[in-house]
Amino acid sequence: MGVKLERIVKTYYDNLAAGKITARKCQDCGAVEWPPLLGCNTCGSTNMEWIEISGHGKMIQMVMPSPITQRPEMEDIRPYCLAVVEIEEGPVVNVMVRGVNRKNKNLVMEKMPGVPVHATIIPRDGYDTVIFDLDEVPEVPKKAK
Amino acid sequence: MKNNINQTTLHPYSRSVSIIGVGCTPFMYTMDNPETEGLTEGELFGYAAYKAMEDAGVTPKDVDFYFHGEASPFNGSNYITPNMQVSEWFGMRGKASIHHSEACCTGYLAIEQAVNAVASGKYNVVLTGCVEFGDAVADPNKPAHIRRKFDDNMFQESLKWIYDRAYTRAMMCGPNLHQDDVCAWYKDEYGLTDDQMDDTLIHMAINSRRSASKNPLALARKTYEELAKEHDFDDVMEYMKSFFNPKMTANLRASGLELKCDGAAAAIVCPTEMAHLFTNKKPIEVLGIGNATREANQAHVELLATREACRQVYELTGVKPEEIDLLMANDFFLSSQLCAAEESGYLPRGEGWKYFIEGRTAYDGDKPINTNGGRCSFGHAHAASGLADVYEAVMQMRGECGERQIKKVPKTSFIRGFGGAQNVAAIILRTKE
Repeated sequence: MGVKLERIVKTYYDNLAAGKITARKCQDCGAVEWPPLLGCNTCGSTNMEWIEISGHGKMIQMVMPSPITQRPEMEDIRPYCLAVVEIEEGPVVNVMVRGVNRKNKNLVMEKMPGVPVHATIIPRDGYDTVIFDLDEVPEVPKKAK
Repeated sequence: MKNNINQTTLHPYSRSVSIIGVGCTPFMYTMDNPETEGLTEGELFGYAAYKAMEDAGVTPKDVDFYFHGEASPFNGSNYITPNMQVSEWFGMRGKASIHHSEACCTGYLAIEQAVNAVASGKYNVVLTGCVEFGDAVADPNKPAHIRRKFDDNMFQESLKWIYDRAYTRAMMCGPNLHQDDVCAWYKDEYGLTDDQMDDTLIHMAINSRRSASKNPLALARKTYEELAKEHDFDDVMEYMKSFFNPKMTANLRASGLELKCDGAAAAIVCPTEMAHLFTNKKPIEVLGIGNATREANQAHVELLATREACRQVYELTGVKPEEIDLLMANDFFLSSQLCAAEESGYLPRGEGWKYFIEGRTAYDGDKPINTNGGRCSFGHAHAASGLADVYEAVMQMRGECGERQIKKVPKTSFIRGFGGAQNVAAIILRTKE
């Protein structure tokens, strides 16, 4: 199958607007590209089909935001951490993970690597994007008075 | 680690190529000094080019072709064909040239371009140079000597230009995680505490600043010990952990971030067998250059691209890590020293951090790294930094570095280029006896 000229980026964002998180799966080697791309980086094939991903993944690295990585345009998704997440379908991607704050970060860190997370579609200025949320946000025990 | 990255097999050059001349301006804030305020692209590039030609014993008539590198020519110079605008400033009117731009990796790939051009057989003598105004950018409506400050807010805004618009910018993480990725990965992999990583980075900064203090071309030449005294600290470590040196990212303090500035650097390459026609100095042969790239949405960009580039160049050259006498690593995030040192095998995996704390990576240690001071002390004129590192390696290999000269003159140097979200180059140089 030869390469097709198609609007992969637009399709991805259109799918997000319809509530679906999509990827492209190589029909030759089975590797998944998420976010979706034209060809397969594992075997080079262009024989790719659209799939919907489950949205489930595991956080394998987390970094708390800091003065120069805390951007005004990200205020609305606080509290968050910067993370490396491996999604169920295989890709390992840098993503934002919500639900981690200064108080519970140590409790999350204790369960690393492999803290379960799930993808969430959020609106931005004129488009939607994907971030992740902790499956379970640990509650910090209140200090005894 | 489950992160696919394609591999490339390198093939030997068609003929051996050597560096025979190098030139470098001071790295500086041109607008802050009455003597440098108003310097332009043609003057900086031209100075570095002429210094390299003078060093090589060639004239503009001998040079067949030149490469021009600038990380952000539209922003810094308001040019989109910047090779054209400087070509007449160093006596090469009418000679062919090309511009290339790979952000902070530009100056490393500048050597790659020049070596390939000579190795192919097309040209014999090639000049490769880079210039950047990282602090004093062009005013599009005024002559070139009238510039304006490129402040930190403008710089942060401009950084988005190195990130993918399809997904990476929209997903927000890649452009913000990469400052800390190496430190976070290293701590997880080897069980370091936050304090151990902090101490490692602080010693890195101290070691690099000591080198810069002995380098007349460096931007920041006051040692941290001197700065500590000025602020009434008896203990430099106490000063480095004080509010005078705040944490700017989860791991990096102010001392671990680049000093963006203005500067230019250049080199002349020719077939190794022709070097004697121009100079009596020993040629510095470029044994090989590995390259890899990785987009910022992908995990562990710097680490995995460095690993692949190193693999390529060692496979091609047969050089062993234990043969490396000097490591230069583009360290606009200071942690790059650790990543480059361990991925190149210059320092043992998982143990490298101790070498920094013990001072062994200083210019007078047994495992010298970034003897010019690196990006956080020498300065970072983005495109020009790579060739400034080449300049330093060549000068060290000739034994011409004065106070900061490595005692055992290096015979083999490894240069790890990095930049542009992200390109990586792994260059091995060896003195041709």
